[in-house]
Amino acid sequence: MTDYKDSDTDMREERINALLDGELDDEQAEQLKREAMGDQALARSIIEAYQLQRAMEGMRVEKAPASLRRRLKRIPREQRPAYLQPGWVTAFAVVPLLVIAVALMQRRAPEPSPAPSQPREPTAAEVAQARQDLAVAFAYIDRVGERAGNEIELELAGEMTDAVAGSVFRTIQHQKIL
Amino acid sequence: MKRFLIALFCTTLALPAVAQEDALRDLPGFVDFGGLNEIYGEPKVNISIGGALLRFVGAMAKNEDPEAAAIFSKLKGVRVSVYATGGNAAAALDQVSSVKKSLSALQWAPIVQVNDEGEQVQIFMKMNGEVMDGLTLMAVDDEEAVFINVIGQLDPNELAGLMDDFDVDIGGGLDINVD
Repeated sequence: MTDYKDSDTDMREERINALLDGELDDEQAEQLKREAMGDQALARSIIEAYQLQRAMEGMRVEKAPASLRRRLKRIPREQRPAYLQPGWVTAFAVVPLLVIAVALMQRRAPEPSPAPSQPREPTAAEVAQARQDLAVAFAYIDRVGERAGNEIELELAGEMTDAVAGSVFRTIQHQKIL
Repeated sequence: MKRFLIALFCTTLALPAVAQEDALRDLPGFVDFGGLNEIYGEPKVNISIGGALLRFVGAMAKNEDPEAAAIFSKLKGVRVSVYATGGNAAAALDQVSSVKKSLSALQWAPIVQVNDEGEQVQIFMKMNGEVMDGLTLMAVDDEEAVFINVIGQLDPNELAGLMDDFDVDIGGGLDINVD
């Protein structure tokens, strides 16, 4: 059973790698795209692989020969270095995925579609995703608010310090202590 | 060409999110932040949630958290774009200046304006009589440029309670716990 699953995973990875390497023809790429529309895990894998490829390109590492790359792709997931493990990739890709996941779930709308005058009711998954997006949105609102607050506090503290120091200095001058 | 096609492939998966954005454009609290993609690349965070989803989120939260549900029911849209400025905030600061001019022309009121060396925080609010149409927050520094547009009504006092519920940490990474 496990072997069967691994074989499926390998085939899926090979197709994704072929897409990224430009080895799929138009029909095969279109087929993969159609499957990705209905399979969130597949879509996620494509996006992760694409982002990983971009990250690797950014590292300016000299490309290994094609034959070596093909062999590396065949290494089982467990034996891959840490930077190729899905957890690392997911962490790297998490933010764009939030948006794309919503998009994918919207594309998986139940058919037939409701009457034109009635907006389509979002699925539970869409609502859950929206809730996560909102969490991120409100975290940023909170952070901007906090940043503004800190700046204002710093400014006020500076003015208060000047006011107090100036006042003390004037008092000292007034009393001719110095 | 190959890279372009793959990017296009991934982009088409996100097209409905763009449609969501278009649906919000006609609302009075909507703000056009323009584009910084050419300078900073794709935003690292890009969120656009419309009124229908917000209402459903509110409806689902109604039993477990009536306060959060009340907040969501008054919102019509939430948009967030965050760009990594990578030590070069000049373009983002120019964009903030440009948006500020547009907002002033459209009767948005400045609430908070912090202008520090290489860092800006701008908060604007649009009122329609006693009702808030929208809130706009822009924050730029050497690390990132954050553009937020909340369409609808939002009470800052209610927001504090909501943040406690969400338990989100966006400091070093993204750690979300929405229970």
